[in-house]
This record gives sequence, C-alpha cells and structure tokens, in this order.
Amino acid sequence: MNKVNISHKDLMSVESPGRYVGGEPNQCIKEYVINQLEQNGTCKEVRTAFCFPDIYEIGMSNLAMQILYNVINSEEYNYCERAFTPWHDMIKLMREKNIPLFTLETGSPLSDFDIVAFTLGYEMCYTNVLLMMDLGNIPLKSTDRKENDPVVICGGPVAYNIEPMCDFFDAVLMGEGEEMILEVTQAVKRYKDSGKRNRHELLLELSKISGVYIPSFYKAEFEDNYSGKEYFVDAVRIVKNEDGTVSEYPVEFSKIAPRQTGLIKTEASAPDIITKRIISDLDNALYPENPIVPNMGIVHDRAYLEVFRGCIRGCRFCQAGFIYRPVREKSAETLCRQGIAIEHNTGYDELGILSLSSSDYTGLKELTDGLLDAFEGRHSSLSLPSLRIDNFALDLMEKVSSTRKTGLTFAPEAGTQRLRDVINKGITEEDIMSSLKLAFSGGWGTVKLYFMLGLPTETMEDVEGIADLAKKIEKLYFDTVHELGIKARKPEITVSTSMYIPKPFTPFQWERQNCKEEFLKKQAFLKSRLKSKNIKYSWHDVESSLWEVVLARGDRRLNQVLLEGYKAGLVFDAWDDSFNFAKWTEILLKNGLSWETYAREYSTDEVLPWQHINVGVRKDFLISEKNKAYSETVTPNCREKCSACGANCFKVGECYASR
Amino acid sequence: MLQDERARLMTTQKHQQQYIQRAVFERKGATSYIGHLDLMRVFERAIRRAELPILYTQGYNPRPIMVFALPLGVGVNTEGDYVDVAMSVPINSEEFVEKVNYMLPAGVKILKAISLPEQKDSLMSLVTAADYRINAKSIGDVAPDILKFDSIMTTKKSKGKEISVDIRNLIYDVRRINEDEITLKVAAGSSNNLRPDVFLRAVCEKMCYSVENSSNSDICRTALYKGEYPKIELIM
Repeated sequence: MNKVNISHKDLMSVESPGRYVGGEPNQCIKEYVINQLEQNGTCKEVRTAFCFPDIYEIGMSNLAMQILYNVINSEEYNYCERAFTPWHDMIKLMREKNIPLFTLETGSPLSDFDIVAFTLGYEMCYTNVLLMMDLGNIPLKSTDRKENDPVVICGGPVAYNIEPMCDFFDAVLMGEGEEMILEVTQAVKRYKDSGKRNRHELLLELSKISGVYIPSFYKAEFEDNYSGKEYFVDAVRIVKNEDGTVSEYPVEFSKIAPRQTGLIKTEASAPDIITKRIISDLDNALYPENPIVPNMGIVHDRAYLEVFRGCIRGCRFCQAGFIYRPVREKSAETLCRQGIAIEHNTGYDELGILSLSSSDYTGLKELTDGLLDAFEGRHSSLSLPSLRIDNFALDLMEKVSSTRKTGLTFAPEAGTQRLRDVINKGITEEDIMSSLKLAFSGGWGTVKLYFMLGLPTETMEDVEGIADLAKKIEKLYFDTVHELGIKARKPEITVSTSMYIPKPFTPFQWERQNCKEEFLKKQAFLKSRLKSKNIKYSWHDVESSLWEVVLARGDRRLNQVLLEGYKAGLVFDAWDDSFNFAKWTEILLKNGLSWETYAREYSTDEVLPWQHINVGVRKDFLISEKNKAYSETVTPNCREKCSACGANCFKVGECYASR
Repeated sequence: MLQDERARLMTTQKHQQQYIQRAVFERKGATSYIGHLDLMRVFERAIRRAELPILYTQGYNPRPIMVFALPLGVGVNTEGDYVDVAMSVPINSEEFVEKVNYMLPAGVKILKAISLPEQKDSLMSLVTAADYRINAKSIGDVAPDILKFDSIMTTKKSKGKEISVDIRNLIYDVRRINEDEITLKVAAGSSNNLRPDVFLRAVCEKMCYSVENSSNSDICRTALYKGEYPKIELIM
C-alpha cells in the first residue's frame, strides 16, 4: 500500500497542519480494506477519493460531502475517503518534495483510487480541481488518461453546465447523487471484478446510467464568425476621461467570439438529452446521523439538518430555485428523530436547519418545538438561516438564541417594488416594514439588507430605491422606539450589494450582465447616498462577478482557457487575494474569447451550451417567465398555483402533493 | 424589554455547586496538530457525546466550565496535562474516564481523574514548572551546556512588538538522555513561562546548534508542577 507520510517537520512548517491529518470522530476506517491493501497492494472493494476543491475548513462545512461519504461507505463493497485542496504553503511543499495529493483516511495518493469524485458547489473552484488532479498525479484531460488511471467524475449544482470543464471529467452526474453514485460505484465494481481494462467500455456502461453525462461522447460546433450583433444593444461602456468628463461607448462587437451552433453526438448510444436525477422520498433517503466532527475549527462549525429540497418561490434570478425543483419535504417526525440523534452523536451544541427559504417548510413549528423540547437543558441551540421575519420567527429566534440578539437579515434583492416584481421576489415594502417594526419593538436593532446590482431592467431609480429603503428603515427604528418609549440605541443597518450574474436554467439565462463601469457607477452612486452614521454600505468586488458569468454560461472553448490559467498559477479564484482578473482576461483574449462573449445578451433561439441537460423546468416556461418579468408581472408560488414549469415530470413532491 | 429580563435572571440565579473532575491526559498523533481552542472543543464535544452532566457558565453566552492547566502549542505532544471539568452532579471518576475516553478522538486519552471538592484556586494559577522531552538530532551533547551561561538574551513577541528578554532564570535543568534526546525543566504558568520552541531557538543562537535539526524536533510535555521551584510537586 502506498502511504504518504508527511513528516512532523513538514507539518510544523505549514499553516494549520490539522487540515492534513484526519483522525476526526466518525471518520470511516475500513480495516478489511486496509488489510488487503497492506498485504496485496490492491483490494476487491471500489475505492473512491471524494474531493472538495477548496481547503479543509470549507470542504468539511459542506453537507453534500457528508451525505455522499456516508452513502458510499454504507455499502460494504465501497470505501470512500476524503481529500481537500492544500493551501498555498502546502502546495509548494508537496511540489518541492514530490509528495502526491493524498486522502486523510489512509494517506493514499489520489492516483491509487478507482474513482476520484469532485463536488462542485461554485464555479470559482474550477482551477482547484485541476490543481488537485495534478498534485494527485492524474492526467488532467479525460482523453489522456490510461487504463490504470482513476475514473474522474463530478456532480453538484454547477455541474449542470459543466461545458467549461468538460474535458477534465470522464463522467458527470446530473442532479442529486444519493442513488446515482451507488449505480456508478456498482458499474465500477463490475468493471473491476471483470479484470478488463478498457476505459471506453466502462464509459459506455456509465452512460447507460440515467443522469450520467459523458462529455467525451459529444462534440461542440461553433459558427465561423459572430453573427448576433442585435443581441447586445443595451450594453454601454462608461469611461471616465482624463479631464473628468464621462464618455459612453457601445460595447465592441468585435470582441464577441462566434456562438455555439450545436452539440453533436460522437457515440451513437449516448443519450440526446440527459435528465437530472432526484430523490423522490427524502424521508427514506440515507442521511448522515453520524457526520464527521472536525477536530479543528471550520467555517460552519455545526451539525446540519436538511429539511427539504427545492423552493416554492421561483425568484427569477435564482438558479437554486429552478434546478432543485420540485419541492420535496421531509416529515417533521423523521427530522426530529434525526436531529436528536445528530446532536447526541456529534456533541455539537448547534444544529443548523438547512434549506432554501426555511419558513416555507410546512412542519416548521412541529419540528422546532420538538427539537427545542429535546434540547432543553442541554445547552444546544438551533440556527435558522433563511427565515422570513414574522411573529412566529421572532418568537422562535428568541427561544433558540442562547446568546444575545443577533442581527436580522433581509434579502429584498431590489430597491423598488417595480424591480422586485420583475425578479418575482414575492416581498413588498410593507412586508419588510411590518416585520421590522415587530423586530424593533422586540429589542432588535441590527439589520442586514442584501441587494443585487445589475438586475435586468434596472435603472438608477431602482438603485436609488435601495438607499431610500435603508433610510426608511432607519426612520422606522427611531419612530418605533419613541412610540414605545424604549431607550433608543444606535441601530446598525448594513446594506450589502452583490453583482447580478445571469445563470443557466433561470428565466434570466439569456440576459446580459452589466459591464464593470456600470457596476462601479452604481456602487459609487449608492456610496454617495448612504452617508448616515447608522447605515453601513458594503459591496463585493466587481471583477470576480465578471469572471463568474464567463464560467457560469461558458462553453467548451473555456477548457483551454482554464488549463492555461491553471498552468499560469491561477488557483483559489474564490479567494479575493488569489483572484487575478487581468490575467484571466489576457488568457481569454489570447484564445479569441472575451468577457463580452459570455456577458452579452443571448437570443432565446440560439444554441445554449447547456441545453442538452434537462433539469425538469422547460424552456418555454423560462421564456414565459422572462416575458412576464418584462411586463412586471409576478408568478404565484408553487403552493398558491402550479405554473406548469415542467418539474412535475418527476411525478413527486409539491407538484403531486397538492393534487 | 426582553434583554432586561435576562439580565435580572442572570443576577438572581443562585450559585450552583460544582463537582470537579480533575483529569490528567495525554495527546499524540493527529490531534497534536490542532490549537489550544480546538483541543478545548474536542474535549467539550467528547463530554457532550458521553452525555455527562457538564456544567455551563451563566450569562448571555453559556460555555462549559472547563479549565486547562496550560495551553499546548500546535504540534506539541503531552504525557501529563491537566484539565478541570465541572459537573452539575457528583460523578464517579472511573466512569468519567471510561466514558470520555470512549468518545475522544484517537490520540487524546485521559489517563486518570480524581473528584475534587470545589476549590478556589484555578488550575491555571497552580502551574509553576513543566518538564519537556525533546528529541532532535545530536541535541544531547549540545543543549545541556547552555546552563553555563549567566544570561541568555532572546527576543520574544509581546503585543505585536519584539522585546528582548533574559530566559536564563526560566531554565531550571537540561539533561542529556542520549545523543538525540534531552529533558528540560522550565518555568511554566501564567506569570513566568518558557516555551520549548523559544528554548530551542536559544540553543541555536547560543550553542550554534543547527536550525534545521531544531525545526525537525519532536517535543513532548511530560509533566506539570505546582509549588515554588525547587520545592515543586506534580499537580496530581
């Protein structure tokens, strides 16, 4: 058995060595596999290295990893271990000393595994994937891998448009992995047992599994020259001249690269459309009741209870709201039982209730009452990150909070009712004001407000609306405390803006993104309008959002760009101090591509690089939602009225519960 | 207002009896690479998993009442560190050791525990000296001679500034065990404390010992003492 041993001295020379040693409670050690490996160097079982493309502290906070680690290891024929991206200091050390990337459980190099699986939660981790393969001595391109190399697979929300990274994966799992991953490990087990060594045959087998996409079985085609000028009519570049005046320029069409015209199958038996997989019965799906408890502090250091998947809301900018459809709840009874078990098994004093828009969970009261009852006297609390603020929520927050009153968070996303209707954010100013009045009366004084800049149809009036709303909230605070005769404290109102990034599988997937100058102008404008000492304005870096749109809506031409970026040392793009937009832009241009190529407005009849993936929601529904956005018409949520989005093709969940 | 109710509750809460388990523990292997705060959490969660009635502080942010004798640096093993854990009801020390050990991650192990009547001195304030065992290439013939100096000036970081300090008085004894191993007895605790890495740096500076070898050392704390040197005795 090849075992990587990092010396004590080397561990002591890097930051947070606890990242690289494993040994946590509940980690999976399969002696019967290790014994075979020690005796023969091989084993009968299928070995999977589950890789998270960021550092330990972030990866161990990821629920998908804990769920799938548990699912895979629940089968005797499988042994799944973990690997994370080493930090810069460790990367340097591993390169100098020729130490391959290894798993925490047995210290085996990645190249020793049958399957190397990546979970992809955000686009900015792409080059870290390449880094991990490279450090693990795995050929980066699928086509360069030999018979003895591991099968490299991936899944997760951003895998729905894997085209920018598709050269590097042998197989991509679309949708929820609990069942699909076992079908994949079974296929690999049969392949391993057969003793045959023919990767193509294995990939053919994998392509028969519903939800599995084999990128190498398809070829993308592009037009010779960009022919869609009319689709970038709104984009204007505002440039400050040296004399202080401002000029507006139309975006340079010459910078837009040819569009994709199709995706051609090169393997006859490969499916034309790959439909995502979902779990129909979450109550009976395996959920980790004994998750690994890290010894060192991690980013989200608590246990998690996932209460439902999907979201009834349908906010038009939100990718999660569409790709996770349909809504499927777990029963409060199952959740109570699991929550109690998890709190006991981990020793955590905090259990996070996890879902999109938790207030929409129909059993929320039963669940929280049950858990709070069970936690009585145990100094354990609940955290409910995505609650709509109403009487029930405030009461609940008062009950669960063992510490002082934490801040309240609202995500109005847009500053005016007009724009909130455009994005279908079913929240009115009245809702916000009445919730906040309740909160201020109850002693809360810290409010965080999240907005997006650059949403479709946004004007400067909408941006001004953000400042107006913050000022109204400030006034509401003082009015409320005066009215009740409570001593006024200094309220803390934080306005935070991020940049809108049009994402695949949403009604806005065809929209253009604002350019850098537009974003900066809007940020500067807000800065000038938010001068009150009670209001703090915080904003995100513009450039990383510009890069994110390229990766999110990208096509196969980006594989080369990402490869060159990786080779130029661009890793940890999700970390502000590592991210280098200038360098990425340079590499894009060198490859005949540009930000404009991917940030332009798309036509609804052009080929989208991700259109061979079916997430359930149909294209005609997305188009009708896009049109409704332009007419400022809201769409009722899934419980009020079914809007026939197409997700009922899975015949489960909310779509069927109400019929 | 709700906050005022809480404040009242806090001040009126009656004093609760503490039943302290004083435990001596070792740590080695993977768990040596975590920091002091992490180790505290490791103990806290193990005791919670063991379902033992650990007592919490009162107030806005209740924390388990748990006091460690002396923080352990990242990468430093121990064969004899102490922790006091407050329980809300008296419990049997054997039960405490057995249940907590079952839940602790590999590498951390309680060797023994005793029940203490509630006492006023905090465990931290008791510590005056510590023994370390240092394994490093060829250190045995070099390090003990550092005792012949009357003064050993070295720099240490204090509140972000580098200050110069004399550590000679903090070194009580250095002994050769074999060519590659020494034992070290130094001042420890909240008033005077000499960390083994600072000692090793002084050995490099004063005795021209190889920095390479010193950074390749294995350090293990073997004992913690109370009492005034030289009349010191093991804490437990």
